[in-house]
Amino acid sequence: MTEVLRLELPLWQVPLLLLLPLVLLGMAIYALRRSLRQRSVPGEEPDWSVPSLEEAAGHSLFHRWEVRCKLVSLLLYAFAVASLQQLGPALAALGLSLLALLLARTPLPRALMRLLALSGFLTMFMIVMPLSAALRPGDTLVVFAGLEWLEFNLRGLQLAATIAAKGAAIALLSEPLLATAPLPVTLQGLSRLGAPEMVGQMVLLSHRYLHVFRQEALRMAGGMQVRGFRKRTDLPTFHAVANFLGMLFVRSFERTERVFEAMQARGYQGRMPAPLATSLRSTDWLLGGVWLLLGLLLVIFDRWVG
Amino acid sequence: MHDLKRQAQLPATDSALFAARGLCHRYPDGTLALDHIDLTLAAGDRLALVGHNGSGKTTLVKQLCGLLQPTHGEVYYQGKLLRGDYLQRSRLEIGLLFQDPDDQLFGHTVLEDVAFGPRNQGLSQPLAEQAAKRALQQVGLLELAYKAPHNLSFGQKKRAALAGLLAMNPAVLILDEPTANLDPRQQELFLELLREFPGTLICISHDLILLYQLCNRALVLEAGQVHHDYSLQELVSQRQALREHGLDFSFRFVTAPVATPLAEATPLPASASGSQPAPESTPLITLADYHFHYPDGTQALRGIDLSIRSGEHLAIVGENGAGKSTLLSCLLGLRQGKGAFEFDGQRVGRRQRQALWRQVGLVFQNCADQLFCASVAEEVGFGLRQIGLPVPEVEGRVATALARVRLQGFEQRVPLHLSGGERKRLALACVLAMQPRLLILDEPTAGLDPQGEELLLEILRGLDVTLLLVSHDMFFVGELTRRTLVMHQGELVRDLATAEFLQDEGLAALNGLSFTYRQRSSSAIRELQHAHEHSHRHRHLHDHLHRHGELVHSHPHEHEHEHSHRFVHSHSDAPRPQHDHQHPPQPQMHQHEHPDHADTPHDHEH
Repeated sequence: MTEVLRLELPLWQVPLLLLLPLVLLGMAIYALRRSLRQRSVPGEEPDWSVPSLEEAAGHSLFHRWEVRCKLVSLLLYAFAVASLQQLGPALAALGLSLLALLLARTPLPRALMRLLALSGFLTMFMIVMPLSAALRPGDTLVVFAGLEWLEFNLRGLQLAATIAAKGAAIALLSEPLLATAPLPVTLQGLSRLGAPEMVGQMVLLSHRYLHVFRQEALRMAGGMQVRGFRKRTDLPTFHAVANFLGMLFVRSFERTERVFEAMQARGYQGRMPAPLATSLRSTDWLLGGVWLLLGLLLVIFDRWVG
Repeated sequence: MHDLKRQAQLPATDSALFAARGLCHRYPDGTLALDHIDLTLAAGDRLALVGHNGSGKTTLVKQLCGLLQPTHGEVYYQGKLLRGDYLQRSRLEIGLLFQDPDDQLFGHTVLEDVAFGPRNQGLSQPLAEQAAKRALQQVGLLELAYKAPHNLSFGQKKRAALAGLLAMNPAVLILDEPTANLDPRQQELFLELLREFPGTLICISHDLILLYQLCNRALVLEAGQVHHDYSLQELVSQRQALREHGLDFSFRFVTAPVATPLAEATPLPASASGSQPAPESTPLITLADYHFHYPDGTQALRGIDLSIRSGEHLAIVGENGAGKSTLLSCLLGLRQGKGAFEFDGQRVGRRQRQALWRQVGLVFQNCADQLFCASVAEEVGFGLRQIGLPVPEVEGRVATALARVRLQGFEQRVPLHLSGGERKRLALACVLAMQPRLLILDEPTAGLDPQGEELLLEILRGLDVTLLLVSHDMFFVGELTRRTLVMHQGELVRDLATAEFLQDEGLAALNGLSFTYRQRSSSAIRELQHAHEHSHRHRHLHDHLHRHGELVHSHPHEHEHEHSHRFVHSHSDAPRPQHDHQHPPQPQMHQHEHPDHADTPHDHEH
């Protein structure tokens, strides 16, 4: 089939086919936000005398998996998912990620947060790609009577949906990948796989001090606000913001020096103490093999469908 | 002028734990921070390191733990030069507690952080975790072992940081302002932990009351040099020396707030500065059934009912986490809760909330959070420019505000380079320049040395503005306010006269404000300051066995000689009070033991 198929729909279907999905998407995002906010209301204080990972999820398949094997297998699998080109295999990958999420028993709100962070970006794809996809033989165009200049390419929509499914699949997979072992253990695993140790240390310290710098920035912003500062598009605003950023940088720099001194004072000589070394067991290899096989099957399925 | 460099009895160098010889340190910008320091410290010493901000205290302790290398001179630890591999090994025995615990807690969890030192000492992970858990047990944080450090309260962070050192079983603990910004209950908890530490202790603090409890030796630094090295008792008893080094906190004894009898306490709020609020006027601020909860669900304010009249001076007290800061941010319009909020009789809605900054001024606890400009003049004028005032008026108000806080001549200085006390006064000037109707001070004495505190108190006493003070410092509460609101777990549990509050020890203790150990120390120091010895001639009437030829007998007889007497006396409030004091009347004739010459041969008339 080489011709372009044009589907002309009556104008009254514009709200039904275009606006309704957008409204539904907006409502879903709103409901998700609301649900997350409600879920974040703490009940009782968790028991901090035991490791929180064990407390929350016990020992799932992913928690028991040796970290190096898990990193290599899931990262290779993620590359396989990223290489998919068809909607069907991408949806299958999304299904597998959901299954992995259930097996890992990591907190659902955090996974939803990741999806929420992606949602704006993916929604933009869903809107822009049907309008901007290059016309090819065999494409189907949807036009509305009276709005003939507005052509929706269904191939573009399918492409956008494929990208969205792949993005969501990989985003959801990051939970079983990163949230089933303490961060230092994961970084140590990366280091043992050959990643520079200094990078791991920097990530670890950044993760810790991001909260501190954020709190400092919020307090300083409050300090400006109570003296009447409001953001405007004028020179004094740029001047004040530059001062704010400069001061934040100076304070962060000074803190960095103090943290380094505190580490040195407790015997730090350039290397963080390594967590307990782990050894690979046959089950780790087996799990790794299964995930790589799943990735391979997805790629074959994708090429076969294509 | 007081005596300089009077040495305490020092241990011999070969038995010394630390020895510094001719120690100098110059920073890259040319500042000479230490100037020929000679110091010997024995194992088991408990040394208080005191002096003005910038006198070299922090530089000295960094030299002692090898974080800085001397420009000239040497530092010895256990008889060996602190350098190279020996320095690395020694660091594992010397614990340094930083002022801000966030600098020190870099671990992913509390346990991991506390185990960091033991791991560096070469312990395996299980053994290091055991040591860490023991230390956490010691500081009462074992149940929070797996919590992330950034989710701890400030007091918990301080204790976790101490646990990180105790887990290393150090021979020496060096502490930089260990109890700064802690509420009194947390301070007492911390003090107990430090008292139990069996090793050598070096403590930097402006809080002489704390040091009096903790240390037995004092080293006073001034401009990088040792000015005094003697016992702590000697230090606190010499007001002249304290005053010259900005350490004299005796102003806290002059007008003890607890002295106000209950009967004199004002049942209705009244201004401490003497200007009585008009009882019939519309309250400046009214909150009714006011609630606030954070997005994470934490209920910070519960049903607050509060009325503040114009001209009132009142205090809000409560333990850390009681909701004081949240209440302040609501009053400033930074947060909006649920309930009625009126300012000067007008309901505060969204729009009015955004304009509250023109009427309400806050001096932050950490004033660095509100200083961000390149010069002092720019800093003070920042808010005025936001109002849109003409340049001449901005300049006039800046000059007036700086004069009020005694910072004339500082206009072109960089705020970041000012001392702690100067920065606090600058923050106050920034707020005063805006001419707020309500001035809020959040822990104004945090991090100030006694001299800075005294100056701040003097400035605050002279202000004629509605004042809301949030503080753990009961002296300031008593001095500056007449009405006290007690907060506990987000609620206003009491609203009473300050004098009444200060006499209610049960109420104070309930809210983590127990200041009994401070009162105890203050009394002891006061007694030391007011006791001294004079030598002058006395006649003594006494009775002892003596011989007249063959006759040995005993009967009362007189001697006249000179010896010292110990006096306890009261001082006036004059600037040099030790020159103006009175002794209780002494009898010309009195009796006491003469063990040195009671039996020596002597002659006298019968």
